[in-house]
Amino acid sequence: MMGRTIFIDPGRCIGCQACVSACRECDSHRGKSMIHLDYPDEGHSVASLPTVCMHCEDPVAPCAEVCPADAILVTADGVVQQADTTRCIGCANCVNACPFGVPKIDLQAKLQMKCNLCYDRTAYGLAPMCATVCPTGALFYGTLDELRAERPGVQVADSFTFGSTTVSTGVAMVVPADKVQWPVPGGLPVVEINGRDVSEANSNKGGGGRREGVR
Amino acid sequence: MRLYRDRVTEPPQTAEPTPVPGPAPGPAPGPAAADGTTPQTPAAVRRRAALTGAAVSALLILAIVLGSRLLRDFDSALLPYAVATVFLAFGVAYRYTVWISAPGARRLFRQGWRSFFSAANFRTAPTALPKMIATYLGFQKFLGARSHARWAAHQLIFWGCLLAAAITFPLTWGWFTFTSDSGSGPGYEMRIWGFKIIGFDALNAVGWLMFHGLDIAAVLVIAGASYFLWRRMKDRGAITGQRFAYDLVPLIALIVISVTGLLLTFSSIFLHGGGYEFLAILHMVTVVFTLIYIPFGKFFHIVQRPAAVGMQLFKYTARRKDDDEILTCRRCHEPIDTAPYVENLQGTMRDLDLGFDTWTEYCPRCKRVLRGTAYLDHVKKGFN
Repeated sequence: MMGRTIFIDPGRCIGCQACVSACRECDSHRGKSMIHLDYPDEGHSVASLPTVCMHCEDPVAPCAEVCPADAILVTADGVVQQADTTRCIGCANCVNACPFGVPKIDLQAKLQMKCNLCYDRTAYGLAPMCATVCPTGALFYGTLDELRAERPGVQVADSFTFGSTTVSTGVAMVVPADKVQWPVPGGLPVVEINGRDVSEANSNKGGGGRREGVR
Repeated sequence: MRLYRDRVTEPPQTAEPTPVPGPAPGPAPGPAAADGTTPQTPAAVRRRAALTGAAVSALLILAIVLGSRLLRDFDSALLPYAVATVFLAFGVAYRYTVWISAPGARRLFRQGWRSFFSAANFRTAPTALPKMIATYLGFQKFLGARSHARWAAHQLIFWGCLLAAAITFPLTWGWFTFTSDSGSGPGYEMRIWGFKIIGFDALNAVGWLMFHGLDIAAVLVIAGASYFLWRRMKDRGAITGQRFAYDLVPLIALIVISVTGLLLTFSSIFLHGGGYEFLAILHMVTVVFTLIYIPFGKFFHIVQRPAAVGMQLFKYTARRKDDDEILTCRRCHEPIDTAPYVENLQGTMRDLDLGFDTWTEYCPRCKRVLRGTAYLDHVKKGFN
């Protein structure tokens, strides 16, 4: 985990979209929001999940590793930058390899864009736009000590499991105290338990992965 | 025992979590790559790159010697430029080899050329490749989608540099010669490799264009590079994370080369050659340094950009086939990309020991929603 980073607490998120609007004001991608706000159980729950780039540390930035054009650079402070506009060829490798579903792509502009932790602000000690405007503290920017000064006893996790792989990240999530030593599940659905096919139960709509002749 | 698509693991995912395992193994070179090639050590890659660079440089030297009719047409005043192009050839070939040895680039490189050499593909869409080359490499339509002003400025630099390169490279290699039967003209003949291509009068419009091609190129480049330099000082998005050596030096180099080049013309026309020798050396030094810088800095995108065409051709080839070539998200069934492209990416991820390659069969949104659901169900039940 980086020194100063974003801590995400989905339990505090009220889905107000203030972060989405503020993100558009970031100088490095003006007019386009890079933060994702999803509603995992829409229609049944008001639960919402803000997703910023998690700035993967181990393995270091899978998006950068799969990039065929060496377009994604990781700065010395661990921030995974958005694609270098000169190099990006718009292949979408990063978009589809990212385990957190973070990068966006503009197919016309042949350009990937993603959260860069508001590098124009954080490089000068300012909080990212999303954390600045979040009214409930679901997105907190600072050190773990600063977070704990505001929220005594809070526990965070920075490891996520995807199948057999654990990804350690620079950005952390708030977790209940009894879950802190466990990696947070990344959501990759289990398809089989002891020989029993459970893919239908885990895949909301079942099946999937079909190849269709879509144009 | 749980199976995540095709691999057996202990339960970390949706049941009660397991303790964080020890430090994940480092990026040890994976087993034999899925395409049958053995993983390459960095030393082996560097060795191959050095050999490729040396071979390309040797070929260029041979081409210079033969193209200048065994150096008879070689202009020794231009020797530093010619030497710089040999270094440039080495540097470009070296870095290119290292670049395409990385898993992501290597796989895409192969798929791109496979599509290029596909006879079936050529038969069904003979115009696809020329169209892509014109769109991506010539007119750079994608830049227009980013910004019209940047597109216009980049076009000025692109065509200016292309014109300059087309004139100067063959000149420094002794491939172009201008001869006159009458000694001092005005009738001149342009020859390539000793063969006459065109005869022209130095005093008419064609002659003026022939002898001022580099001045025209300089004006184009100065206009484009000045805009980019101004933008790098004013645009807050561009300023974010910009580096002097990577972002500003190339623009400054282009402007210095162009301005000193124009000053040479100015000196010969208006100053009767005053200061010409100093300007010629200044111009030569900046050109030589820029040529040697090309493989290592921002200018390497000139060499990399054709990969965009290979990538597009690879996807285009798969899309044209009628039978089920688009992979859709396993959860929401939205199209992700062509099936061969996703398989190629999965291969890249396996090469890199990124053990979640099957996750690519879900769209980014479903990945986030499934992670949110897992958090909702297993970390902080009913978190809202």
